[in-house]
Amino acid sequence: MIYEAISISLYVSILSTILGLLISIPMGIFLGVKNFYFKKIILSILTALTSIPPVCAGLIVYLMVSRTGPFGWMGILYTPTAMIIAQTLIIFPIMTTLIARNISDDFPVFSDELYLYGARLRDIAYLLIKNRISIYLTISLIGFGRAISEYGAAAIVGGSIDHVTRNVTSTIALETSKGNLLIAINLGIILMTISFIISYLINLKK
Amino acid sequence: MRPIFRYLCIFLLIFYNSSIAKEFLIVQSTTSTANTGLLEYLGDLFFEDTGIEIRAVAVGTGQAIKNSMRGDGDVLLVHDKIKELKFVKDGFGVKRHDLMYNDFIFVGPKTDPENIKKSKTVLEVIDKLSKGKTRFISRDDNSGTHSKELKLWKLSKARLSSDFYIKSGAGMASTINMAAEMQAYTITDRGSWISHNNKGNLALLYENDNLLFNPYGIIAINPKKFPNTKYNNAKKFIEWILSKKIQNLIELFKVNGEQIFFTYKVNK
Repeated sequence: MIYEAISISLYVSILSTILGLLISIPMGIFLGVKNFYFKKIILSILTALTSIPPVCAGLIVYLMVSRTGPFGWMGILYTPTAMIIAQTLIIFPIMTTLIARNISDDFPVFSDELYLYGARLRDIAYLLIKNRISIYLTISLIGFGRAISEYGAAAIVGGSIDHVTRNVTSTIALETSKGNLLIAINLGIILMTISFIISYLINLKK
Repeated sequence: MRPIFRYLCIFLLIFYNSSIAKEFLIVQSTTSTANTGLLEYLGDLFFEDTGIEIRAVAVGTGQAIKNSMRGDGDVLLVHDKIKELKFVKDGFGVKRHDLMYNDFIFVGPKTDPENIKKSKTVLEVIDKLSKGKTRFISRDDNSGTHSKELKLWKLSKARLSSDFYIKSGAGMASTINMAAEMQAYTITDRGSWISHNNKGNLALLYENDNLLFNPYGIIAINPKKFPNTKYNNAKKFIEWILSKKIQNLIELFKVNGEQIFFTYKVNK
């Protein structure tokens, strides 16, 4: 039971981190490099969304993928897929704001010179990210940490179904409520250990 | 081309589990049937018999009915007969079948400060609680237990002052935990009480009144309203669970050495 919960948690959170990166890197580069009329508003909205409560993200995804919702025909409510989408919604604003901030700090310093050498925007962005790869690893870790530790969204769209969507946090909540405190504590320790190992590995890479 | 391919791979990986998943049935059910382990036990048997996986969503009865009204389920298994019949009448469900029953009980601190143990009727219990100075915890989540409790308050016409009436807004097990911590009274279904592992200083104080009867019903979600529901499998599951063999197994199902659910057919 414990291993199943851990593998579900890891599967969902790793995929939502990857999906979050795929959304936030292009968005972050765009917001960091370009200047346009609504930029400040969009950045403010994204910054506000960094504190979106997981239950709200869960509720939004629930309304979308419920059978009466616009994406109900896909039948993905109460599956890990729905959890991945909800967790991506939770973590992509924080990742995008951090990436945009990082790019907008670096970009003006190097851009003129690189443009002189004939670099295109895509090459510059690639260089900027490669140069600061440890920051991007940290940003991924922040996203992953928020994804794996949240409970509300996973509980709403996942439904805490045994063997399917019952991840570590929903197992902890369930076992605590049933009075099985030992299992809950063990799972809590395991969750912390996973976070520790990942952050240690990333710090090694620096 | 390559970045598109990469994106495609990741999307395939994410949607993999829903596209190639086994055949399954979503049962909107209550914490009392899931937390006791009954649904898991029956689900394994059903999978052996038919190859269909049972995925149980355990929430309060009110929420299970609301979820089913949005079409988010194939079978509804809850314990609030009036709401269930309304659910069927409004066209959301096909037909309500009697599945099993047990009863509600009052639990509270072992010392029993309001002396409800010696009450003759459940209305006397409510009366004593409303006059006493010990806290009473209500689920307050539209669950089957909560609507039973509200019915009792309504019948007795007594009112508990808000200082002593605490609304937990949580599941049955969490509410029992709260009652244990606060040394308060609460009402619970017998199944949740027997399978609870953290009873602390609480004890069963009042039981056996006809008003405390707790029937469970099972309903297939109406495919005319929600065409995406798996009606054939739902029908198969309901026929299966009402068969003599499974009804006997429900009767034999025990937690901590005690029988939790009783069936109609076996007793008759």
